Amino acid sequence: MNKLTIAIPTGRLKEEALNLLLRMPHCPPLAFNSRKLCIDEETSPWKVLLTHPKDVSTYVEYGVADLGIVGKDIILERGNEIYELLDLRIGKCTMVLAAPEGTQEAALWERGKVRIATKYPHFTRRYLQEKGVTGDVVFLYGSIELAPNIGLSDAIVDLVSTGKTLRENHLQVVEEIVPISGRLVVNRISIKTKGEVIRKFVEEIKGVIAE
Amino acid sequence: MELVLGTHDIYPKEARIRKKVRETLCQLFERWGYEEVEPPTIESYQILAKTIGEEIRERMYQFVNREGQLVCLRPEFTTSVARMFSKEGEQSTHRVYYAGKIFRYPSSPFRLESELTQIGVEHIGKSTLESDGEVVALAVASLRAVPVQGFQVDIGHVGIFRYLLSQLPLGEEEKNQVKNLVKKKDFVALQEFWQRKALQEHPVATFFLRFPFLRGKEEILSEARGLFPDPEWEHLIDYLQAIFTRLRDFGFTEHLFLNLGLTRDLDYYTGVIWEGFSPHLGYPLLAGGRYDGLFRLFGKDFPACGFALFLERVVEVMPRGELSKEALLSRVHLHHPPRWRAKAFEIAERLREEGFSVTMEEYEGEQFTLATSRKTLSFTPQEAENIESMLKELQP
Repeated sequence: MNKLTIAIPTGRLKEEALNLLLRMPHCPPLAFNSRKLCIDEETSPWKVLLTHPKDVSTYVEYGVADLGIVGKDIILERGNEIYELLDLRIGKCTMVLAAPEGTQEAALWERGKVRIATKYPHFTRRYLQEKGVTGDVVFLYGSIELAPNIGLSDAIVDLVSTGKTLRENHLQVVEEIVPISGRLVVNRISIKTKGEVIRKFVEEIKGVIAE
Repeated sequence: MELVLGTHDIYPKEARIRKKVRETLCQLFERWGYEEVEPPTIESYQILAKTIGEEIRERMYQFVNREGQLVCLRPEFTTSVARMFSKEGEQSTHRVYYAGKIFRYPSSPFRLESELTQIGVEHIGKSTLESDGEVVALAVASLRAVPVQGFQVDIGHVGIFRYLLSQLPLGEEEKNQVKNLVKKKDFVALQEFWQRKALQEHPVATFFLRFPFLRGKEEILSEARGLFPDPEWEHLIDYLQAIFTRLRDFGFTEHLFLNLGLTRDLDYYTGVIWEGFSPHLGYPLLAGGRYDGLFRLFGKDFPACGFALFLERVVEVMPRGELSKEALLSRVHLHHPPRWRAKAFEIAERLREEGFSVTMEEYEGEQFTLATSRKTLSFTPQEAENIESMLKELQP
């Protein structure tokens, strides 16, 4: 009953997330090298699930995972009812508004109805609302940086780490909206029923981050 | 054939288990001296907008009726019940319960349900330790009666959060930010906020960061008591201790936990708050608390407390609704030749009186047959005269 189920994301955060867990004192061997998506040894204190990055916070909200490692961008987009306990300081980047080089921010809003391409439609809609501007949100699955150059949108909202992709596509940051990093999230019932085990887990992973 | 987004149909198998849970709870409430009330499904928007928090208000189904009045489908029961009893001139004690659908647009694009069932109680007219203890005990008794395997109930007090907030050297606007972060359970942002305000060493600020883990039995109170030497703080701790002691006297502490970090709608509740859940579901099964300010919005100063169970969530943690053995045995299918219709109906009515559920069907044959899940009896019209012996044979 006190076994912890931990959801970790594939993709961008996977290696860093695994690296954190592997440095913890009670980490079982975590070899996700094959097509394996779930590691659950009988003697291990954890069951580890490998899930799509966008699904981690959903697994945690529904309680099929007690804990999860997930990017802040996903939490902002999904708005899950979960506890956000720790900044794991992995996968650091920034959620930005970017537009073709030379665009002034004011000019963007002056158009009255700006069109923004993004992988984060709910976040972007909220962002526009808080800014008090009207705009269309074009939801894309990838290659967001392409959108302004081919006339699909006036600007994009996306994650930027080095800015290289932006430059190669002749885009520039108009506004840094919010810093993003990997977070430790917890289900709101698990934090009660498995409070002591989770508290210890948090202490241990804090120790690893501080190293 | 299309269903409206957020609604779903309930077929017999699920209806059966829903009914059982509902009947168990209503019977329990009756036995504790609570009486049923039925407020209308449609309420005036003006009334509900007074009390419902912004988050739910944005999710209400509202429309203009033929009289040009802005109305809405009830998003909860408590406000309606308060409206009902605020018509009274004098403060007196009422114990009531309700069971029915509530309507809310989904809280996020990723959630769908917009029609939910709440079953709950309101205890109106008293603001005492005794009444708080009674209603918390009834919450525990509810989950025990259903029964929910391995359920737990956490109790806390909104005064804890309010006291801590008042001790921070911050302005109103900043305190609101803290409130929102705690409500969103975003402890990463809260820690960043303390750093920005150079409060990371402040004892109240560090205590806030422990909110997720301030849960346990009575030892959690003795640990917290000395943290802030202030009569107001001690009073809160004493109050929770007193509630816990009362529940122990009832033999109800096995499933009960004290949780100093428990927060529920902080603008609504004024005293003790609680939440019940199962380790097998990621959402609370019931929630409640004391809300002495609610009636003031209707011009009365009546105190009240109560809680509501979310039926769909309770059903989710129940074993699937198979028919019980007795229920199966009491189902009877009666075949009969068309010309003996009158006699067949007489038999069916007699069996129904005895508590069997009987379906009838005409067939081309020369005998009556009675089929249950266990056996099939055949008999002639002459034999059918002796209904009593037939009944005997059907009894398990």
